Amino acid sequence: MDITDSSSAAPPLPGISAAEAAENPSSALPAPATPRAPRKTAPRSASARTSGSSKPSGSAKKSAPRTAKAPAPAGAEDAAAQPVTAPPKPRVSAAAVAAAYRDEAPAAPPAVPDTEVEQAADAPAAEAPAAEAPAEDAPVAKARPAAKKKSAARKSAKPPKPEPEAAEPEVVEPEVVEPAVVEPEAVEPAIVEPESVEPAIVEPVIVEPEAGEPVTTADAVIPSETPDDADAQTDPDSSAPAPTVLSEVAADTDVPAVRLRGVAKSFGETRAVDAIDLSIPAGTFYGVVGPNGAGKTTTLSMIAGLLRPDRGTIEIAGIDLAAEPARAKRMMGILPDRLRTFDRLTGRQLLHYYGVLRGLAPAVVESRAADLARAFDLAGDLGRTVADYSAGMTKKVMLAGAMIHSPRVLVLDEPFEAVDPVSSAIILDILKAYVAHGGTVILSSHGMELVERVCSGVAVVVAGQVLAEGTVDEVRGELTLEQRFIELAGGLSDVEGLEWLHTFSG
Amino acid sequence: MAAHVLRLRFALLVGALRGDARQVTRSVAAVAALLLGLAVVVWALLRLRDAPDEVAQTVTIVGGAGITVGFFVTPLLGGPEDPLDPRRFAVFGVSPAALAGSVLLASVVSVPVLSLIVLGVALVALSGAHGSAPAVGVVSVVLGILTCVLGGKVAAALAARVLRHRRSRELTGLLLVGLLVVVVPVVVFLASLQWRGRVPSQLTAAVDILAVTPVGAAWALPWRALEGTALVPSLVAVGTVLVLAATWWVLVRWLLTTTERPLSSRAQRGLGWFAVTPGTPSGAIAARSLIYWLRDPRYIVNFLVVPISAILTMVPLVVVGVPLSLAALLPAPFIALFFGWLAHNDLAYDSTALWMHVASAVRGAADRLGRLVPVTLIAVPLLAIAIPVTVGMHGRWALLPAMVGVCGSLFLSGLGFSSLSSVLAPYPASRPGDGPFQQPQRTGGALAQAVVLVGTLLVSAPALWWAWLTLAGDDEAAWMALWGGLAIGVAVLTAGILLGGWFFERRGGRLMEFVESV
Repeated sequence: MDITDSSSAAPPLPGISAAEAAENPSSALPAPATPRAPRKTAPRSASARTSGSSKPSGSAKKSAPRTAKAPAPAGAEDAAAQPVTAPPKPRVSAAAVAAAYRDEAPAAPPAVPDTEVEQAADAPAAEAPAAEAPAEDAPVAKARPAAKKKSAARKSAKPPKPEPEAAEPEVVEPEVVEPAVVEPEAVEPAIVEPESVEPAIVEPVIVEPEAGEPVTTADAVIPSETPDDADAQTDPDSSAPAPTVLSEVAADTDVPAVRLRGVAKSFGETRAVDAIDLSIPAGTFYGVVGPNGAGKTTTLSMIAGLLRPDRGTIEIAGIDLAAEPARAKRMMGILPDRLRTFDRLTGRQLLHYYGVLRGLAPAVVESRAADLARAFDLAGDLGRTVADYSAGMTKKVMLAGAMIHSPRVLVLDEPFEAVDPVSSAIILDILKAYVAHGGTVILSSHGMELVERVCSGVAVVVAGQVLAEGTVDEVRGELTLEQRFIELAGGLSDVEGLEWLHTFSG
Repeated sequence: MAAHVLRLRFALLVGALRGDARQVTRSVAAVAALLLGLAVVVWALLRLRDAPDEVAQTVTIVGGAGITVGFFVTPLLGGPEDPLDPRRFAVFGVSPAALAGSVLLASVVSVPVLSLIVLGVALVALSGAHGSAPAVGVVSVVLGILTCVLGGKVAAALAARVLRHRRSRELTGLLLVGLLVVVVPVVVFLASLQWRGRVPSQLTAAVDILAVTPVGAAWALPWRALEGTALVPSLVAVGTVLVLAATWWVLVRWLLTTTERPLSSRAQRGLGWFAVTPGTPSGAIAARSLIYWLRDPRYIVNFLVVPISAILTMVPLVVVGVPLSLAALLPAPFIALFFGWLAHNDLAYDSTALWMHVASAVRGAADRLGRLVPVTLIAVPLLAIAIPVTVGMHGRWALLPAMVGVCGSLFLSGLGFSSLSSVLAPYPASRPGDGPFQQPQRTGGALAQAVVLVGTLLVSAPALWWAWLTLAGDDEAAWMALWGGLAIGVAVLTAGILLGGWFFERRGGRLMEFVESV
């Protein structure tokens, strides 16, 4: 099956985004991490519009912060003077965003949103004063470097502001009406923002202009937003590796992140894995599903280099795992299932251990560990020994450790098992952002619904063999993934012989 | 400049007597106690005027060397912060040379140095009474005091620069252990001497050695001058002062021209041993292993059992009539042998957490080396106590080098073999969280245990043979045993780490299968 084509991988995302837009309010609870969501969902913003307007309260709150920055530098008074022309504004901003988005991720412009956006782009040209068109271009251009830098800095932890504009435009509509009340403070955001890197990025949206109002909606949420900016600026180290990763990934998208050829593994008499072939393209969110004992964990362990296959070869980003284990392993972050960790260490010590074993300098480890702890909501627990953590917290700290050396591929065995819904939403956000920037996530899961919603590619492993593989759509066909999975796994046999269970004895 | 700093110094001295009543009382009491002690020492020194030359010289040199070492060690162990830290003068734009001189001069005005000057006067009187020229006595005391003052300043500057941000329970513990390693043998040595009215010959030998070391040379000057052999001590004493002065000057320059990185203190917070060990994979593995060795009952039992059983080995021998002086020689080599052997199944104790090392592609040698750090840190101080005690009980100090050689060979080559066996032949051990005596069903591993033990004994055979010759009366063989034994140990250890590391990198998959199957 062909998943190497990035455009075919992209479509699922918009779909997800719509679904997510509806969910967002709940995942918005943990303050710092959630704003991230809009970032990757950017492209499908246009399609999300309807859901946005239908749920004013939840999504309005979310989107507000980003619109905030936009208008701020523009000068609130002028803007406020203008009538509230809701319709034109969103479209213009959508156009600006679309332009920005196309610049930033030329590789995979999702088909559906793209067209919509294009229409939007046309519209303003007609409606808006001619002078604005150039103005619009300029800021976008300016925004570029800043946006890159920003997103890099963010990569490790923080809510992204750079792209967010993309998501907002439409969503903004609803609020424009309500928050006139807030207006007075409109000025302060302008003061706060400048220090953060934002202004440059935000500018494009200013073009929306006549729409004075957004300014007002802005400040209502800004307070919660600014601290994040401050944080983002304090983690300088993480910015270093990110840009290079981006460019590299762009260069070698043809090389699959992971390729298995005829990989087999037996434990004594049992054949755990029987001649598996898989090719997982870079920049995808890939799910490995299968019934209990199907060989998922064994497969992932072999990919991770923890087990040696009896036969077959494994390549990580084109590097043969057997021939150059050290180089190949450096590309991967591993989250095993059922394996212990050194749980007499405190959370902080464990993260330090992860980082230093990977050869990072202690100072880098320190700052990344702080970022990760914040992102995974572990900051308050780093001083306790990991043995005292709950199962979910242990999973989170191990996931954080797997990411600390900014690997190219994340191999996660049951990452969401025992993790509460809020945490898994956060983790999912982090992982999606990681994939959006060119990373590859391979995870195994029993949650079909989750795999269907999140993954772009999926492989169904039954009895050590891949029975189906490809994009989620290809694999499930007409059915839901769960139905298809049950079908592949041999169907539901009628349960017989338990009649005694239905005659109660006491 | 100098006058300013001096005045500051006096103000600081007087300032110590201000503050609330309790603190003042404490300061006054301390000063009174010090004066009393000083008076006693001076009185004792003056009484030595009538003692034989040999006794007076032994007391002077040993005492002087002890005081000099004390001046150097105290700041490292975390004495009070130096109020005249050169860095505090950085903002005044003073030239480093002027500052180095002024601070040094001001440092003379401190309670310890003033006491030392009083002692110095008594020493001049003492050496004069034994016929030494007063000028030589004065030069000796001045050099000695300079050595002390400079040593203290250099140590304080180093401590402030290097240690301050790393100060932690762990580091202090480490330094105390280091001190123990030095002090215990000396105390045992002194305690085992038999005075019987004259200076024991072993002590005379020790004094002869001290007299040409930097810490004792200055104090030995007048006594060596009496014997006409003052050349070497005087060169050493003057050289020491010059080297220390140059070091001090360089340090002051360095302190004034570099800035502190405040980040380092933040980075070390809450990391425990990880803050003490270097930030490399082997350093991290060492820190992690240390935390486990010191907190996990499975390891603690191991290293408690070894010394206890070592002492118990003497019992049957003594019961069957082996003389105590011979039986007493057994515990130290026994401890060395079993501590080297302890690490032979280290990997199995990690259980499945081993995946972190395999997945991180840690260099095998780094893994091997890091794991040996805790056992070394525990075994070395224990051996430092056990060896002198053993030799002291035996009674013939000429055996000391041989004993060190035998123990070094047994311990180091044991570590080398262990590094290999824990990769090649791990066997199930009690799992993390289990009780130390709760052994797994399937143990096996007898072969690995035996091979490591026998292999260690075999490669150490030469050292044991030389030690046996020493015991039989050949004093030259003692030095053969020392250097030969250490060379064997280091060679086997290096080979074990490199080879074990090589295997570790290639057997990662099989090791994971092993730990998962247990």
